[in-house]
Amino acid sequence: MLRSAPTRTAELQAMLEDVQQALKKSANQRSWIMVINTKKCSGCHSCAVACMAENMSPPNVTYRAVPEVEIGEYPQVSRVFMPTNCMHCDNPPCAKAANAITPGAITKQPDGIVIVAYDKFRDKKAFDAAAKVCPYKALYWDDGSFFTKALPVFEPYEQQAGFEYGARLKRAEGKSPAGSGRKCHFCLHRLNAGMLPACVTTCPCGAMYFGDKNNSKGLAMQLLAFNNGIRLKVSQDTRPRVYYLTSETGTADNLKACLACHGA
Amino acid sequence: MAKHMSDQQDIPAEGCALSRRGFLKGSAILGGSAVLAERMQWIQGLVTRAESGALAAGEEYLLSKPENILYSVCLQCNTGCAIKTKILDGVVVKIDGSPYSPWSLAPHLPYATSPVDTAKVDAPLCLKGQAGIQHAYDPYRIVRVLKRAGKRGENKWTSIPFDQAVSEIVEGGLLFKEVPGEETRRVEGLRQIYALRDPKVAQAMAADVEAIRAKKMTVAEFKTKHATNLDKLIDPDHPDFGPKNNQMAFVWGRLKAGRGDLIGRFTRDAFGSTNAHGHTTVCQGSLYFTCKAMADQFVEGKFTGGPKFYWQADAQNSEFIIFVGASPLEGNYGPTHRSKALTEGITDGRLKFAVVDPRHSKTASKAWKWVPAKPGTDGALALGMIRLIMEQGHYNGTYLRNANRAAAAADKEPTWTNAAWLIKFNADGTPGAFLRGSDIGLKKEERKNAAGKAWEFDPFLVWKDGKAVPFDPNDDKNAVEGDLLARPTINGVKTQTSFMLLYDSAATHSVAEWAGICGIETQDIVDLTREFVSHGRKAVADVHRGAAQHTNGFYNVLAWMTLNLINGNHDYKGGLLKATTFSITSGAFDFGKMMPNKANPFGISSIRHETTYEESTIFQGYPAKRAWYPFSSDIYEEIIPSMGDMYPYQIKAMFLYMGSPGYSLPAGHTNIAVLSDPTKIPLVIVNDITVGTTSVYADYIFPDITFLERWEFQGSHPSIAPEVQPIRQPVMAPLTETVKVFGEEQPISLESMLLGVAEKLGLPGFGPNGFGPGMDFKRDEDMYLRMTANVAAARGGVPEASDAEVKLFLDSRRHLPKTVYDATRWEKVSDKSWKKVVYVLNRGGRFQDYDKAYAGDMAANKYGRMINMYVEKVAKGKNPITGKPFAGIATHLPILDAQGREISKLDEAKGYDLNLITYREIAHTKSRTITNYWLLQVSPENHILINAVDAQRLGIKGGENVRVTSATNPDGVWDLKALGKKPIVGKAKVIQGIRPGVVAFALGFGHWATGSSDFTIDGKLVKGDPRRATGVHANAAMRVDDHFKNTCMVDLVGGSVSFYDTRVKLLKA
Repeated sequence: MLRSAPTRTAELQAMLEDVQQALKKSANQRSWIMVINTKKCSGCHSCAVACMAENMSPPNVTYRAVPEVEIGEYPQVSRVFMPTNCMHCDNPPCAKAANAITPGAITKQPDGIVIVAYDKFRDKKAFDAAAKVCPYKALYWDDGSFFTKALPVFEPYEQQAGFEYGARLKRAEGKSPAGSGRKCHFCLHRLNAGMLPACVTTCPCGAMYFGDKNNSKGLAMQLLAFNNGIRLKVSQDTRPRVYYLTSETGTADNLKACLACHGA
Repeated sequence: MAKHMSDQQDIPAEGCALSRRGFLKGSAILGGSAVLAERMQWIQGLVTRAESGALAAGEEYLLSKPENILYSVCLQCNTGCAIKTKILDGVVVKIDGSPYSPWSLAPHLPYATSPVDTAKVDAPLCLKGQAGIQHAYDPYRIVRVLKRAGKRGENKWTSIPFDQAVSEIVEGGLLFKEVPGEETRRVEGLRQIYALRDPKVAQAMAADVEAIRAKKMTVAEFKTKHATNLDKLIDPDHPDFGPKNNQMAFVWGRLKAGRGDLIGRFTRDAFGSTNAHGHTTVCQGSLYFTCKAMADQFVEGKFTGGPKFYWQADAQNSEFIIFVGASPLEGNYGPTHRSKALTEGITDGRLKFAVVDPRHSKTASKAWKWVPAKPGTDGALALGMIRLIMEQGHYNGTYLRNANRAAAAADKEPTWTNAAWLIKFNADGTPGAFLRGSDIGLKKEERKNAAGKAWEFDPFLVWKDGKAVPFDPNDDKNAVEGDLLARPTINGVKTQTSFMLLYDSAATHSVAEWAGICGIETQDIVDLTREFVSHGRKAVADVHRGAAQHTNGFYNVLAWMTLNLINGNHDYKGGLLKATTFSITSGAFDFGKMMPNKANPFGISSIRHETTYEESTIFQGYPAKRAWYPFSSDIYEEIIPSMGDMYPYQIKAMFLYMGSPGYSLPAGHTNIAVLSDPTKIPLVIVNDITVGTTSVYADYIFPDITFLERWEFQGSHPSIAPEVQPIRQPVMAPLTETVKVFGEEQPISLESMLLGVAEKLGLPGFGPNGFGPGMDFKRDEDMYLRMTANVAAARGGVPEASDAEVKLFLDSRRHLPKTVYDATRWEKVSDKSWKKVVYVLNRGGRFQDYDKAYAGDMAANKYGRMINMYVEKVAKGKNPITGKPFAGIATHLPILDAQGREISKLDEAKGYDLNLITYREIAHTKSRTITNYWLLQVSPENHILINAVDAQRLGIKGGENVRVTSATNPDGVWDLKALGKKPIVGKAKVIQGIRPGVVAFALGFGHWATGSSDFTIDGKLVKGDPRRATGVHANAAMRVDDHFKNTCMVDLVGGSVSFYDTRVKLLKA
């Protein structure tokens, strides 16, 4: 596949510059997209864990998942690793479903990110409705549990105020986001600080890319220009913002295998 | 229905005409100060927005502010990636990779980059590293000293004051009189074991023990001469056992430098015991010791001085790599570091790699070729390739013909080999020593070493133009080259070159036969070889524990390293690298001169390493009772079982640091049996952060501080090209109890325990003036700051920190308590080096800039010396069990037990017909990641992997529970002694990606302590967490060697444990 940068160092640099440029514009002139090269992904789940740490998410709230599948018969075996999170659809079915029950629970921002209002998205019915219609299983319910509260020491890292949405919320005090629906927000708090999402920076294989769709010179858009990018379940007209690169035959075949079961 | 495979509508239609360079503003290509400036510019741009006040208060992302960030080094696995820890109100809340480190980024940022500018640059880090927070903040961490209240392993504890614990272990006594059965057991304290305290007496005795071994003195003569001090010896009839001091042993698992130096100082230099042993052979032992043997140099008449190290591929630049028993995307050293070299390489088309592994690892899933060879046949595969290469003439003849340093220099080669050297034969026709000048009537030469001591130089010989040519391997003036294909008879003496010996070994089988031994296709060997010879020096074999951890591990590694050798890729860009580190022991403070009244430990070690059986006073012919290891050290599997046999002598006190041999070793249950019997090792003291799988059997557990709370010097790996020294430093307040040692308040830790014992015992080298006049050693930083000063001083030194950097240093440590940090104290200890120490600690260590790591087409940090194709030292050695000589050239050996039997075939005949192996998941390390709940979310349990064909045959379904049994564990049970019995049962996972006949499980699960089970402290029940009890740990099924009876199977040359040679049967559970 065609790359636009020879090292991850140069890629991170280019993506940080893209974010910097985007921040100089007003929010409605930015348009965030995520690009993933599954050929490079080794299914390590570092992205998933970085996300847990970054967003101080409790048990069973995992914005990011990396399912894998084995294909073929010994010794002609291959493995596909498929990182996924909220696709930040331009036509988000979750928003329609949730807002019908609780207006303003989920909002599509001008910059492309689909955000959750923690103080509003607290009705389990609204959550269940949204979770049911999301084709990507991106929604999680925060049931207020902790990893260590029931153990000999309730550890301090679970009791800090998080940084999501720029609000310093302490779920340890029983407040939201405990008791709210939650999902990936493209690490909006990091973007606003001029940094990349946690899953993007932490990826040891360099499979993760991120950028501004309105910047054709940015790395993310350059990758899409030079390689085929597909999105998942486009037939459902969700118009997702996470692209998977498939210029390599092998990768394309593997993704076709996924789609054969999961549908386009 | 048409599938819309891509949606082009919202992707820009323009085919971008921008060149690669233009788009990246010239920053993509390395070289020149312009790049440096550019790179710093883009980082500085990141702070502009914040400085311009554009950030609203509600958006302030505190974790991106430099004063909330401290740089250190991860230890969730031994890769030791440099990390940025982000701290909120004194709590570490996020960990990311450090952009200063070549582990995280290649190229990494210039060392001169300000930490203000790196605050917003997070570098890659794997999931274990991210979860380091949960390693430190573990609800089951112990914070006070625990003393067992019941029998060993009963898991009942009393917390006692630190001072009381130190006093008890030093003075001994009726320490366990409350325990039924131990009412009258008097424990010898360290004070009694510390018998010989006069270094001069020790030195004299040591010299005379050497004389006994050389048959120049008898034991009777020794006893007469040293009559007044015989009571200091373990056994006067065996003076080579050494002094009673040797009956204190210090054992460790995951230890790095700094702490390693401290343990050496305590054990050898102060206490005078020779028994300081690590865990190397449970990891990759034979990989290290094969390369050590290959790296011996010719020094004053002997082959010696090979460091304990190995080589790895410069994957960032290689074009073709064969990974042999190595999976850098999951383990190796390690994913964060090596993944990008692989993924960048395969995306660019620069790199193609093959994976030799019975399991279709994640690395295999990205490979050009997966070669599922049978476990333990790695050497055969390499020999097949070597045969093909030699017969097709694709070996690097120009390189291999160089016999000495001068010849290498003439060709501008950084290394040379003994490929062309002539070897003579023993009477029985086996290869023997190198032919020497004196063998063919040449005179020896009298020489003097630097100290004026005389030695005799007897030249080596090559064959050139029909003549024998004598030479000196180290001669840097007279270049000597030799014919490779020579088998001359000289003056009646039959000889051949190392190269021909290699060919004979490779020609033992045809290529097709080699393939058959491996269970692969002949075409596989052909394809691998064709690639291997098509990339010049940028083709390399990268070997790890998959090849080393077999009974034939030494020879598997030797075969693959020899393959590399005949390609001549050592020290070349894209070839083989070695690790290079900045010294911690000299530079600003010379630690070699900072040990007053240094002891002289002597005697056979408790694991009989680096010594020969034949010269000992307990030589009784063959078989020896237990193995002896002239060529290796840190033989983990020997430590506790030897103590159980009291062979060669009893150990009376054992310290164990950050290690769990009961869990980590194959057949680890044998260690648990020894530990459970207090008459074997009367005093067992462990440093641990929880009550762990081995520390549960201790007498005392001293709580330790984790990697986030402490110091260490991580060192490097052979896959890292730049010279480095990553430095671990406290980033959070310690969680253990504060105690006072030498009048200084400090947390309970390994350091304070050793300082406390030293204080009580009055050991030299500790306390006031412990490092010499005016240099106290009362707390950890007294050692570690001086070591940091040494790192800062190397190679002309680092710059001094600016006032702004000093201010940042102080601000970012505002949350640290005086027990671990005080700026005034630190400045005093660092003396003139203070501002350089600040500079280095602000960056988490020292890392040579990336563009300095290479010089032309070679590595800048070279190995640069002789490499042995024929390891004469090993060829002169004898198997201590059979008395037979060892081979000194790459050879294929089948899997053999200590008695030399093809044990796997014997077990297969009994119905144990599945080959058990283990593997590493990136989510887990062996015994410490089970406590990390984030990791358990992505990897909550392990499985027994089995090929679908075997599952079908055995009627096993996916998800079904199966029990793992073997010839030495037919019941498939862990005998945990006082903790009970734990069945070796796990869930089957039926896959295609494993060789039929092989089954595997991932290490890190099946725990019986570490917070997974209930235990009692001070009479109160502490409930275990079932999330930590999942999965299976089948090490107890791994075969016990029938000769040793309490040890797993071993590699008698390299010392490695056999991890992958056991045959098992899976029963439905």
